Amino acid sequence: MGSQKRIAKELAELTESAPEGITVKLADESNLYIWNVYMEGPENSPYQNGTFHLTLTLPTEYPFKPPTVSFRTKIYHPNVTNDDKGSMCLGMLRADEWKPSSRLAAVLQFARQLLAEPMPDDAVEGRIAEQFKGDFARYEEVAREWTRKYAVRG
Amino acid sequence: MADAAGDRVMCHACGGVWPRSEHGLICPQCQSDFTEIVEIPPDPDEEPPSISDRPDSASSPRSAGSPRNPWADHNPWAAPQGDQDRNEGDQPWDSGSGFRHRTYRSPDGRFTFSTTTYTHGFGGQSGQSPSTRSTSNLDPMMMVQNMDNIFRGLTSNYQQRERSASVSSSGQASSQPRGQGQRLGSFEFNIETGNSATSSQDGGLHPRDADGPQPINNPLRTLSDILELFRADLGANAQAAGTGGARVVTGTNPLAMLSSLLSFDRLGDAVYSQEELDRVISQLIDQTANRGAPPPAPASAIRSLPKKKVDTEMLGHEGRAECSICMDAVELGAEVTVLPCKHWFHYNCIELWLNQHNTCPHCRRGIDSPQTQGTSDNPVVIADSPEPVSRRTSSAEANPGRSSQPPPGAWPEQSPSSWSSRSFSSWSAAQDRNNGQDQRRDSRGEGSSTGSGFTGWVRNRLGGGGSSS
Repeated sequence: MGSQKRIAKELAELTESAPEGITVKLADESNLYIWNVYMEGPENSPYQNGTFHLTLTLPTEYPFKPPTVSFRTKIYHPNVTNDDKGSMCLGMLRADEWKPSSRLAAVLQFARQLLAEPMPDDAVEGRIAEQFKGDFARYEEVAREWTRKYAVRG
Repeated sequence: MADAAGDRVMCHACGGVWPRSEHGLICPQCQSDFTEIVEIPPDPDEEPPSISDRPDSASSPRSAGSPRNPWADHNPWAAPQGDQDRNEGDQPWDSGSGFRHRTYRSPDGRFTFSTTTYTHGFGGQSGQSPSTRSTSNLDPMMMVQNMDNIFRGLTSNYQQRERSASVSSSGQASSQPRGQGQRLGSFEFNIETGNSATSSQDGGLHPRDADGPQPINNPLRTLSDILELFRADLGANAQAAGTGGARVVTGTNPLAMLSSLLSFDRLGDAVYSQEELDRVISQLIDQTANRGAPPPAPASAIRSLPKKKVDTEMLGHEGRAECSICMDAVELGAEVTVLPCKHWFHYNCIELWLNQHNTCPHCRRGIDSPQTQGTSDNPVVIADSPEPVSRRTSSAEANPGRSSQPPPGAWPEQSPSSWSSRSFSSWSAAQDRNNGQDQRRDSRGEGSSTGSGFTGWVRNRLGGGGSSS
């Protein structure tokens, strides 16, 4: 299957020259389609110092269908669902936005960028988005607290 | 309760209605003060309902007596009395002379109906079915129960619409769901009436005895005609639904149909149960998920894409390039498929993508040439001879097929000055500064080759041509 070749290639690229703050490895060495991603919270964001575990799931039709990104680590963020799925809403991963020429490195960098700059207008957690817009200090406070609670090891 | 002249108050919280004189503005049911005074004009022609105008023999055709509400006795499922749950929240309200307000809440609370029925023109006579009469002459709870039966029957029927079993009772009402339309199915609803004794005033809309045996082959003409329209409309919708277009819920939902039949106008566009709402929402989600995702390209269009050997120019400055789908390096001299936007890919790679979406994976331009662009939703009509002058006039409105859709190959030869700047900019916002004809010719090769660009242009021309004059 052509998709495996491309996935392997992208994985190799990502492991060799990982984007800043992002570490990638396969969840299971025999399965190319599920990746474990460890993402450091961007500096100057309330997620700083946290390490967030994400799962990147690739459809078998990849790259013709978009991957999905979900947070395993609980995170207080307008664009990440606050449930056990931790789904992240990325515009470029929507079916109508996805392009096969998008690379997973770009997807992950975009996801990390979203940590630095949430997009409350595309929120999946409306309440957090409201707070982000209306009471930023409080949002930061909670996000920082959650980061300390869930995303900082040791 | 024949207080037809007095103001009534309706509770928006529970739907109850009561005369203002009795309970004031606070809902006696739920103590809500979210109420509204409903003015009911009294109808002087009304007579109090009477019963026993009908012969008891159920087999005899109904005489001039008929219930005010043609469906008052409707009980096609005729469930044994007492085995239906009744909701203590039911608030049937019968004003007697010509006005009825009823609130019905299903036992499980999934839907609530309120109806206000004005009845006149039926002669003010009421026929009660024998079973109804045997228990209560004008028992509102009986009405409610009958309604309950109807709704239960319809809901279960609707849920099992894949089956083609028809639910009918006494040969009067038969609901035949068909598997038409993938998501919603469709619904046929045929009502036949038993007799036609009192058709003089209502043009054929007359009540029927739900419980008694009646002639079957006497369709209720007016209603049938209406329903026929419904069905035709559904058929058309089902075809259009292939593209995932939004379907109007009304008419596919038997409850909605029933409510429209019973003139539950107050509810307007509404769904009647949580399930129904969930279904609509999930349908909308499905549509949103697929909306904007371009449709697959036809196989012929994929095959006819030009192929080319990779030359040094295509490899770019670095002298190497890759197919952005498989990310494999492409060597000099390898054969690749070139899209109209000049992006190129391995044929096998781009074929897989184009089988799903007819756009370039890189820049999203459509691969269709403008000559073949056009869908059933947005057909392209090629005019014989475009007349640029007429585009500036209102004739674009009167004759849009001809004047607003010039053949793509011909229009650049027209005098550019005859194009209003507005229409030009609507053709392509990106090109609106390129007023030189040469530049425009160049840009045409790009712009007109894009499916969405061209259709967008046609759409803009269609939409804006008339108003720009």
